[in-house]
Amino acid sequence: MNNLNEIIEKNIHGLYYGSRVLLPFSAVILKAVIESDIITDFSSHSKDALVTLTEDYTEIYFLEYKDIEESIKQFENIKLVLVEKGKDIFDFQNHEKIALYLEENHKLRIEKINDDILFIE
Amino acid sequence: MSRRNSSIFILLISFILFFVSTELFGNEKFIDTAAVLSSSGESSLKLPDFYMVLPFFILLLMIATGPLFYRHFWERHYPKISILLGLIIVIYYIFFLKDTGSLVHTLAEYISFIALLSSLFVASGGILIKVDRKATPMLNVIVLLFGAVIANIIGTTGASMLLIRPFIKINKDRIKPYHIIFFIFIVSNIGGALTPIGDPPLFLGFLRGVEFFWFIQHVWYIWLPTILAVAGFFFIIDSRNEESAEKVSRIYSNQIEFKGFRNIIYLMIIVISVFIDPAVISWVPNLHPLPIGLREIIMFSMVYISYKTSDKASLKANEFDFEPIKEVAFLFVGIFATMIPALQLIAYEAKINGKDLTPGIFYWATGLLSAFLDNAPTYLNFLAAEMGKFDLDINHKIEVLKFEIEHPVYLTAISVAAVFFGAMTYIGNGPNFMVKSISERAGIKMPTFFGFLIKYSIPILLPIFFFIWLIFFYGEV
Repeated sequence: MNNLNEIIEKNIHGLYYGSRVLLPFSAVILKAVIESDIITDFSSHSKDALVTLTEDYTEIYFLEYKDIEESIKQFENIKLVLVEKGKDIFDFQNHEKIALYLEENHKLRIEKINDDILFIE
Repeated sequence: MSRRNSSIFILLISFILFFVSTELFGNEKFIDTAAVLSSSGESSLKLPDFYMVLPFFILLLMIATGPLFYRHFWERHYPKISILLGLIIVIYYIFFLKDTGSLVHTLAEYISFIALLSSLFVASGGILIKVDRKATPMLNVIVLLFGAVIANIIGTTGASMLLIRPFIKINKDRIKPYHIIFFIFIVSNIGGALTPIGDPPLFLGFLRGVEFFWFIQHVWYIWLPTILAVAGFFFIIDSRNEESAEKVSRIYSNQIEFKGFRNIIYLMIIVISVFIDPAVISWVPNLHPLPIGLREIIMFSMVYISYKTSDKASLKANEFDFEPIKEVAFLFVGIFATMIPALQLIAYEAKINGKDLTPGIFYWATGLLSAFLDNAPTYLNFLAAEMGKFDLDINHKIEVLKFEIEHPVYLTAISVAAVFFGAMTYIGNGPNFMVKSISERAGIKMPTFFGFLIKYSIPILLPIFFFIWLIFFYGEV
């Protein structure tokens, strides 16, 4: 299984289908911003998102979006704060901010958020 | 057909229906609300029934409660709801009142409004300002004061779009909703009270004949203490937040990086185009009966040119998207249409009771209505009512000039109120919503409509606005 840094270095894509996003690594999601929606409830009762973790990937369903491709446009992204599985969630140094860009053929480009992009944890 | 496309389709059908009906029933003289109710005191067209303000109140109520209680339904369907409520009024005016003049006039104002907002939004979207300095309350106050000043040069919308992202970036380690709220107060609203470019109501006054520099001469002594008072409140609140900033150990380069000089030129073109109006420059062609002028054509062209030629990296860094302006466009098409009956009834009441109205009453009436209605037509209607009190007609520039010289306190009262009170709610002024939307996309949880009102506007702004009334307008006749 690749970690986040390897995925970015090797330019490995995630996937998206409809309201479903697949990240090619395993991580605990702390916060997600999609359009103007700020999601912090990832419990099983959440009306906003459903997250499933496996050894190899992380699956997120954005429940209020039938098709995220309709909502996320060319310069837009989905932002996530996450902690890779196995790392100390309580250490802020381990909190990673990433942006997901939708590309053709269901490919999901993953980038670490730099200082240019606004994202408040 | 997607939801977005179906909303645009409904909007287009509405416009087509509207234009066809204008041709069918368009025998009435082109008359706007202010004109109808100002010259003789008698309305030449039938007033709308009182219950026709219901669509407007339903829309306001839904804007207020939608994001709070039925967010996702609202996010999906607000364009259709806004357009359908607007259509009720359009159909009522066309088929029952047979008054297309008010509709044409409102459509023209709406197009002007969207042209200015969208062009400033897109042009500023390609500008990237990076400030790597430690956020301090004093630095924040300086940014807010700078925004207040340039709001008078590039408009509150331009200043808001240009500065909101750098302002959030500076404070990214300590940002709280109050930062954004005070930004809305100072940069998106109160700041722009000194020139007609600053805020749309003053621009409408300018088009009617108020001199360009009249506002700065008669408003600055109210503007300055108000800005300082609001900034003072911000400084006190932000100083309490300083501890959290100290916990963040970062090294700052103190550098300011600027990308997008080309877009500055676009902004200048947009600002200059504000004056390209037949009412200001005689050789500018009047495209009547089209509800659009040369100014709007230039502005919409700048939308296209700015978007196509902006630096893609800057657009990406700004996460540029048309959604915020789309939200404003759809909501305000409903607001503009549904508020026609409300404004006509207000104008009528102001006219028949005008003799008893003092500058203080005009101040509060204009202000409170500007907080919830669009402040531009509200301003114009109260200007008409004020002038009617002195048997002057808003449709004659020479009489507007006479009014500004002989009764400056009246004009000052409504000018200050229309601009300042726009800060009271998210819907008080166009940029408020855009700033909110940009902030939410940056991950900042903004207060709800009522939260904004109860936690911030009422406790902070209302006492200041009360003192403005007490000091400058109380007892004036």
